[in-house]
Amino acid sequence: MTKRTLHRGLAVFWWLTLAFLYLPLAVVVLFSFNSANSSARFADFSLRWYHRLMGNEEILSAFGNSLMLAVVSSLIALVVGGVLGYGMYRHRRRRLGWLILVIYLPLVLPDIVFGIAEMAFFVQINEWTGWLSPGLGTMIIAHVTFQIPFVALIVYSRFVGLDPALFEAARDLYATPRQRLVHFMLPTLKPALMAAFFLSFTLSVDDFVISFFTAGPESATLPIYIWGAIRKGVSPEINAIAALMIAAVAIAAMLSLVFSRRRSP
Amino acid sequence: MTDTGVTASSSRSLGRETRHLLWTVTPGALWILLFLVLPSVYLMSVAFMSSGPYGLPQMPLSLDAFERLAGFGFLGWSPGNLYTLLRSLWQTLVSTALVVVIAYPVAYYITTCRAKWRPLLLLAVVVPSWTNQVIRSFGWMNLLAPGTPLSDLAASLGLISPHMGLYPSNFAVTLGLVYNFLPFMVLPLYSAFERLDVAQVEAAQDLYANPLRTFRHAIFPQTLPGLLAGIVLVAIPAFGMYVVSELLGGGKGMMLGNLVASQFAGAANWPLGAAGAILMLLATFLGLFVMRRLGKRLGGGEQVVI
Repeated sequence: MTKRTLHRGLAVFWWLTLAFLYLPLAVVVLFSFNSANSSARFADFSLRWYHRLMGNEEILSAFGNSLMLAVVSSLIALVVGGVLGYGMYRHRRRRLGWLILVIYLPLVLPDIVFGIAEMAFFVQINEWTGWLSPGLGTMIIAHVTFQIPFVALIVYSRFVGLDPALFEAARDLYATPRQRLVHFMLPTLKPALMAAFFLSFTLSVDDFVISFFTAGPESATLPIYIWGAIRKGVSPEINAIAALMIAAVAIAAMLSLVFSRRRSP
Repeated sequence: MTDTGVTASSSRSLGRETRHLLWTVTPGALWILLFLVLPSVYLMSVAFMSSGPYGLPQMPLSLDAFERLAGFGFLGWSPGNLYTLLRSLWQTLVSTALVVVIAYPVAYYITTCRAKWRPLLLLAVVVPSWTNQVIRSFGWMNLLAPGTPLSDLAASLGLISPHMGLYPSNFAVTLGLVYNFLPFMVLPLYSAFERLDVAQVEAAQDLYANPLRTFRHAIFPQTLPGLLAGIVLVAIPAFGMYVVSELLGGGKGMMLGNLVASQFAGAANWPLGAAGAILMLLATFLGLFVMRRLGKRLGGGEQVVI
């Protein structure tokens, strides 16, 4: 086998894999324009399912919930996780093994165990005290819990990549802690904080299992709504809303490509 | 420089350092302790309680839940739960193996392309996993439902009986798992390939080693750390899968995650579900431990995640 044939074979395999990866998404998008109420036969191009979406109060409120949950939880995680990442860096010479263990826990715990543990705990607390009744509040708490480690690790690794002399310089120039924060830390951390925010946001929007178990009756997010619709029996409306979510991902992918190109020419 | 600053300062400022440590680390650590560690401990304790009305946990402590999990019920022993456990293990094993087989050529292909294109190719592999996993499984439901071209093809080949779809089935779950986790294997393998010492591969080829031997002796050992990292990222979440098996598997494709979840909903029995969760946790930590030991033994060292 020559190198050339090997490379050609690999290329064929690559395109097959790409087809495998994009086929299910393409089918969803295609059938969202289907005039017939079928997932097996494409009849005619139509926008009727999209029109139907616009009038659906439930979907609009689910969209609002998804957005609210993602933004609020990411902001909280950014503050709490950012401070944690800074603390881990400043005190990295101390024995913080227990802390690393705690931080890795949300990453290694299976989603389903994570979600059910939160649900059982919230239900019990609610029974005792009346607090933490299931809804957006409990979902935000749960999402922040799995976002914190990512934010902390991103901020930490950004600090590790910095020249320690920069910290010395800031202190030697008699910068107050506040000045150090505003003029040194935040500007140098800006890319890391932005990356952390977008990752947190994506994780939140992408999550289904943990949201599902911590949600209340009024706080269904888009994935929870879609899940319910699938269970009730597939309606082509789901194709339309799923297609819109796929479009959002496609836009995000293009943006990330543009930004990464600009940063590393 | 920082160190001399600290040692030269008085004990009062060491106290200040500790205060700084507490101030920065406490909120995040406390959040995780309060909202994850404590709930997990609570869930585990539920497994040792008995099941009350509506399946809620109640006092006398008992090991009932574990007996039920092992299959002992009012009507004697039944193998249902054991099948579910074995199916979870089997699905994890098969899907991880398939993911490895697909990811190796894909990751290698990306490294053979021009450096300029590589980020784009990697992005192309990763982007589908940015869409919500409910939607991804829904896409497969569309593709594998009865009457679709794929189902008709399978029926005409005699693989399934006519008018049946390819889903719900164990096959659909395997497919869904492979689909879900492929990017998690491609990424670490790609970074292993990028660091590959090409001289070793060329040496093997110069000595007329066939592709299989080249792979076995020159490529495989070098990409092992990436492979182990990938297995951790694929096998552990696959074992705990809920969405894919629920949507694509139906009753016959149930995995441990579905068994656990169902005990907190309709057929409620919290202690039984909690016992299942403990089993899942044990499997997770055992898996992590084994991969870590393997990684260290085989020279992957610190490159293996976690």
